[in-house]
Amino acid sequence: MNKLLEFKNVKLTYQTKKNETIALENLSFSVFEEEFVSIVGPSGCGKTTILSLIASLIKPTSGSVLLCGQPVKNKTSSMVGYMFQRDNLFDWRTVFKNVCLGLSIQHKLKSPYIEKSRSLLEKYGLKDFENYYPTQLSGGMRQRVALIRTLATDPKLLLLDEPFSAVDFQTRLLVQDDVSYIIKSERKTAILVTHDISEAVSLSDRVLILTKRPAKIKCIKSLDFNKSLTPFQRRSDPKFSKYFNEIWEELKSEE
Amino acid sequence: MKNKKFFSAEHKKYLRKTRLNRLLISLGRWSVLLFIIGLWELSAQLALIDPYITSSPSRVAKTIIAWAKDGSLWLHSWTTLYETLIAFAISIGLGSLLAILLYLFTPVRKIFEPYLVVLNSLPKIALGPLLIVWVGAGTKAIVLMGILICIIITTMSMLQSFVAIPQEKILLLKTLGANRFQVLFKLILPHAIPDFISVLKINVGMAWVGTIMGEYLVSQAGLGYLINYGGLVFNLDTVMSGIVVLCILASLMYFSVATLEHYIHKKRNL
Repeated sequence: MNKLLEFKNVKLTYQTKKNETIALENLSFSVFEEEFVSIVGPSGCGKTTILSLIASLIKPTSGSVLLCGQPVKNKTSSMVGYMFQRDNLFDWRTVFKNVCLGLSIQHKLKSPYIEKSRSLLEKYGLKDFENYYPTQLSGGMRQRVALIRTLATDPKLLLLDEPFSAVDFQTRLLVQDDVSYIIKSERKTAILVTHDISEAVSLSDRVLILTKRPAKIKCIKSLDFNKSLTPFQRRSDPKFSKYFNEIWEELKSEE
Repeated sequence: MKNKKFFSAEHKKYLRKTRLNRLLISLGRWSVLLFIIGLWELSAQLALIDPYITSSPSRVAKTIIAWAKDGSLWLHSWTTLYETLIAFAISIGLGSLLAILLYLFTPVRKIFEPYLVVLNSLPKIALGPLLIVWVGAGTKAIVLMGILICIIITTMSMLQSFVAIPQEKILLLKTLGANRFQVLFKLILPHAIPDFISVLKINVGMAWVGTIMGEYLVSQAGLGYLINYGGLVFNLDTVMSGIVVLCILASLMYFSVATLEHYIHKKRNL
């Protein structure tokens, strides 16, 4: 498998009026193509910061973030798709126009891309809602639209910043299955930031556990589930609670 | 309404009730107007009030009809409407543009913020004498007064609306590779349209205030001139009739904006 993303000795400090905070220090890890990696850690340890670095919204203080072997910069942003906690759909755009938002920004409103967006909507059960407005959709559907909007520009790497935390529990279980299925069938690489251990265990191939600030890698857990299991089915697998407890023990020692 | 026949009796009852409610409310509204006019007229007829000071609906109607016949109604209405519309259009356009520029250039915004606040709290009528000296006693001074009153509030309200946009939405556009102009056109401006409409509504009132005040200061024609003149010569029929015409024009303008709002909301499915 090829290395898609690599963090090499990344350090990041935040400057504020009162003091200087070291958010990340000596952070190194890699993510391989078509892998689903979750990042968990004590709250406020800088998980979102890692995603911001990959999306080149901020620059590392030292060290480097490599995407396909190249340092990330604004130009590489089309290779990365970012999904936030809230769906951030624009109420005044129809579902289809929301999906095409990234295309219109990247001047890609041309036929192959538009057809791709259409087929994504069709494949994932939103075709009949193309001309609906976001306010007419359920929370789960909105999150699916947000994911398809992220996929429309055909990014190599998806950054998921707690995208399931804003929906109710039942919807969350359903959306997790949906999102996992869509990411697997589109053969995308994904990095999920979460504070929910069961979410990390049910979705990922590997889980990175961070130390408290300044964040470093505390340990990495590879999860060995049967490939055919959906996230929901994983929850009833005997290995699930074993992994859950191992990760919980690691995190507990950090708090 | 295709499947009307499938509505349950319960639902039909509900629909009847809401229709009745709406009818009662509009009936109530018209009754209030008729009651006030009726009471006013009756009191004047029975000499409970002195129509010389309070005028009366019939005298107002007579005055307006007389104005319509000699053409002065159109002259004065048009003069004031024209000044108001120009002041309204310029302050909305220029004020919004100013807000966009201030939004795009944060340091400039920070520099000008205190000045805006001070200008906003200054009673613009105080600048009247200056305007007259600088641009002359005429239409220009009146329109300028209207603009002064509207533009600051437009800029401040629009700026506030821009700044209040959720940061995460801007971040989303940035992760999609948007530059700041794309952020402006794809997010900031469309997001601000409902606020823009409220600014329009506020400014309908403000623009009339500005032009009428301007006409009180300097003018040879216009409703403000008529009202002011009527007051000076103690002809309260003229004053009241001027106010009535003003009321009608201002509500027409307000309803045009409300119609625009309705149309936009429908288009954006709000």
